[in-house]
Amino acid sequence: MKRAIQELYLSAGKINRRHVQLLLAMVILSLLVLGAGAPAMEGGAGGG
Amino acid sequence: MILILGIAAGWLSGVIRSRITGTPYRVPEFSKIWLVLIAVFPQLLIFQIPYTAGWFSDTAAAAVLVISQLLLLVFIWFNRDKVGMCILGLGLILNLLVITLNGGLMPIASETAAALYPDVPSSTWEIGSRPGRSKNILLQPEDTRLALLSDSILLPEWFLWTRALSPGDLFIVLGVFWLLAVEKSAKPALPEIIPEYCEK
Repeated sequence: MKRAIQELYLSAGKINRRHVQLLLAMVILSLLVLGAGAPAMEGGAGGG
Repeated sequence: MILILGIAAGWLSGVIRSRITGTPYRVPEFSKIWLVLIAVFPQLLIFQIPYTAGWFSDTAAAAVLVISQLLLLVFIWFNRDKVGMCILGLGLILNLLVITLNGGLMPIASETAAALYPDVPSSTWEIGSRPGRSKNILLQPEDTRLALLSDSILLPEWFLWTRALSPGDLFIVLGVFWLLAVEKSAKPALPEIIPEYCEK
């Protein structure tokens, strides 16, 4: 258990500012293109 | 889906490029990201989540789409120092223009809809209606203002996902690809403590 916690702590330490920034940028860009784009019937067609 | 594909392709190209050049991969930093959250949340409720989509009338959907895209345009304005964001902004303006001129939803010809869904009976495509919970409205090309900017570009049949999109969508895909693959990110900020050292 102690070892598992240590490993978790170590892997959490590897998540640096760059990873968080990358994740945030991906989320924001995904939302942005989802909101700005209007490809044909992505929400479903024929009463879907 | 094609829009998300642009993000994946841009990120992959950016990572490969950084490996080749031996520099760490960085993404651009954006300001005022809360504008995106506020703008897109209502769109998710209306166009993406089947459970909540039924709560809104087509008129409300059209109004929300226009307001939401205007907010996104404000976000793009605040981040206009990036080339990719300007390309993306051009795509948004083209989409917003054709959407606004046609009552708040993206026009699509019934022929295009029928080509996308050959198994659906043609009587389903009622002119003036909104298919499902999409951002589209079925209009005849002759009744569509700026029909050239509508969802009129048909992709080949082998393309698995979205097969019809607007010129604005193409610019949006190109813009997001540029942001992730080509755009030079801001240099990593120096620790704030450094200026204090300099002053001493």
